[in-house]
Amino acid sequence: MADKKAVVANVPKKKATSREKKDWIAGYIFIAPVTIGLIIFYIWPFIQNIWFSFNDVNTFNVATWCGIDNYKRLTGDTEVFNAFKNTLKYVIITTPVGLFFSILLAALMNAKIKGKSIYRTLYFLPSVTMSAAVAMVWKWMYNDQMGIINSLLRALGGEGHNWMTDPKTALYCIMVIGIWGGVGYNMIILLAGIQGISTSYYEAASIDGAGPFAQFFKITIPMLTPTIFFVLITGLIGAFQVFDTVYMMIGAANPAFEKTQTVVMMFYRAAFSYGEKGYAAAISLFIFAVIMIVTVIQLIGQKKWVNYD
Amino acid sequence: MKKNLKKLVALGLVAIMGAMMLAGCGNKGGDDGKTKDGKTKIVFGYWDKNQKVAMEKMVEAYEASQDKVTVELQLTPYGEYWKKLETSATGGNAPDVFWLNVLHMDSYLEGGILVDITDAVKASDINDAFSEVLVNNYVRDGKNYAVPKDFDTNALWYNKELFDQAGVAYPTDDMSYDDFVALCAELKEKLPEGIYPFACPVDFQTWYYQTVYANGGWILNEDATETGYTDPKTMEGIQCWIDLIYAGYSPSAAALTETSADAMFEGKQIAMNFAGSYMVPQYVQNDVITDIIDCVEIPTFNGVETNCINGLGFAVYSKSKNIEAATDFAIWMGSAEAQKIQGETGVVISARNDAQEYFAATQEKFNLAAYTNHADKAYPLPVCSDVAPIYDLEAKTLQKAYNGEAPLKDVCEELKAEADALLNK
Repeated sequence: MADKKAVVANVPKKKATSREKKDWIAGYIFIAPVTIGLIIFYIWPFIQNIWFSFNDVNTFNVATWCGIDNYKRLTGDTEVFNAFKNTLKYVIITTPVGLFFSILLAALMNAKIKGKSIYRTLYFLPSVTMSAAVAMVWKWMYNDQMGIINSLLRALGGEGHNWMTDPKTALYCIMVIGIWGGVGYNMIILLAGIQGISTSYYEAASIDGAGPFAQFFKITIPMLTPTIFFVLITGLIGAFQVFDTVYMMIGAANPAFEKTQTVVMMFYRAAFSYGEKGYAAAISLFIFAVIMIVTVIQLIGQKKWVNYD
Repeated sequence: MKKNLKKLVALGLVAIMGAMMLAGCGNKGGDDGKTKDGKTKIVFGYWDKNQKVAMEKMVEAYEASQDKVTVELQLTPYGEYWKKLETSATGGNAPDVFWLNVLHMDSYLEGGILVDITDAVKASDINDAFSEVLVNNYVRDGKNYAVPKDFDTNALWYNKELFDQAGVAYPTDDMSYDDFVALCAELKEKLPEGIYPFACPVDFQTWYYQTVYANGGWILNEDATETGYTDPKTMEGIQCWIDLIYAGYSPSAAALTETSADAMFEGKQIAMNFAGSYMVPQYVQNDVITDIIDCVEIPTFNGVETNCINGLGFAVYSKSKNIEAATDFAIWMGSAEAQKIQGETGVVISARNDAQEYFAATQEKFNLAAYTNHADKAYPLPVCSDVAPIYDLEAKTLQKAYNGEAPLKDVCEELKAEADALLNK
């Protein structure tokens, strides 16, 4: 490292030619629209959000400074704690299960089977469907009296169950929707990863006598780890922010409300139903901090298992 | 040369994208509220697509009545209405006149968004032509902040086909709560298995507030510092519906969160249902039931007429550039002419006394007078600026009593403690 530094220092600094400068300017202009958009729609609101979290903000964004009151309230709010527990449960179950099914499907979709594109389209369909519509359809499927699931169970001689109002089952039912909705998208990304693996590895392995299972676990999975890592990170972040399905399917009068409410849902209610934008900002920063910590841990942990060679 | 051309094109594209973004941010900038021919232009915001025709006709009549002001209508679906209004009010460019409901009244007043229109109201016939309850919905500290637009009340709907099938006499306008329970018992005995006489969801406006108030109970005290959930009279008004569930006259409250009472009524799974007047258009349009249903008044409780009243008003935006013209328009929307036009569309009950009858007249096959007969005695909803979290808290706490998790008394004590803490935080 020290040698390298010395070498760099000995090279006389060359001024950029006018041609290079022109190229730089062109480059900046090209990234300008996205950068400006990011600053206006993400970074500036984020800074405002931090400011809001130290204020009591009413419905009309009139802010009065209140120091760390919002954070104090946050630490004492059992409802937030409860919602966080539900969210964590959701994250811990849906992310690995979703990842497992995504890899499985990606491997299957990579195989030589008939009508592959039809399956790929079918699995991808939930990703392009409006989540509100998805929630409504699932709500009817889970319906106690006329849902397809209970009808099927009853036709088979079983008993129906009140899936969405039983506090013990409601969150799991929502997890099923989350997994079902995310698998297709992750599958496409993983599939692209699989197809990027050079066929020469497989050829060499089959000459050495490795079967399809050995090839899958010894070549596909290790070579796919960067993609798996990407899917894992985005999946975890997405799972922490689960909101729309729960919001659409569970009302305040639902007995399962307390067992299904997520942190983002609490944030939404505080900001847009109850007009407490300051407190909502504090909740959102709490979610942000948790997601950041988890992501940093993953970024450090990935060195042990992600293979970039 | 070729490279320069490319750059030029790229620069042009960037400029267009930038312009588009800016256009998206700043709407209405530099608009001084005048049209080209020198008339004052005001914007009128509302949310209900079903009332588009009514609003357009009213605006048309207003424009014909004078030649200084033109009105531009701005329809925003309910889902985004309040969010958009709050954002635009913060930015100083909300509609000059907009629909406001009682639920949002207090926080909007605190936010400084509403204009005091007391003088204009006094100069008009509004105080004489509207019931006091409705005008007072928008009065705080003796000042008027909106002109009543319409109101909704509740009625008892029944499925004649199911009653005929069971051989039970139809409900009537003059029933008491006890008559109603007896009717449920008779229906329960004679209706086929799986069909319930009635439904009791955890619903305040259409169910328990009516009996709570008729029974002399209360929800919020005058200065919104305390809730009345543990008052025995309040609890009686809630318990009377829970009793019906445990007598087997209604599906469980949990089942009713999965399939709403309205959906069950429209699916012929319950013989009777309470429904607000805003449900009428939906019932009329449902071919399956429209010819076999009718409505009567809500049963009395302890001999007292029971009903809840809620509604909307026309409010004026405090940062409007044309407050005078906007106020004039808002007042005109409460005039006999405007309220008649609205009533004749049959979508809502016009708030003005002399225009209430039009609602019932539009659907003669139903006894819609049940909604307006005792509207003057109906109870307004309890409101304060923190009412939205209280309604949610109420639903999620009371459901425990409805679903048999805990007795109502315990649940109400828990609810009162939490709600009072919320009011005094």
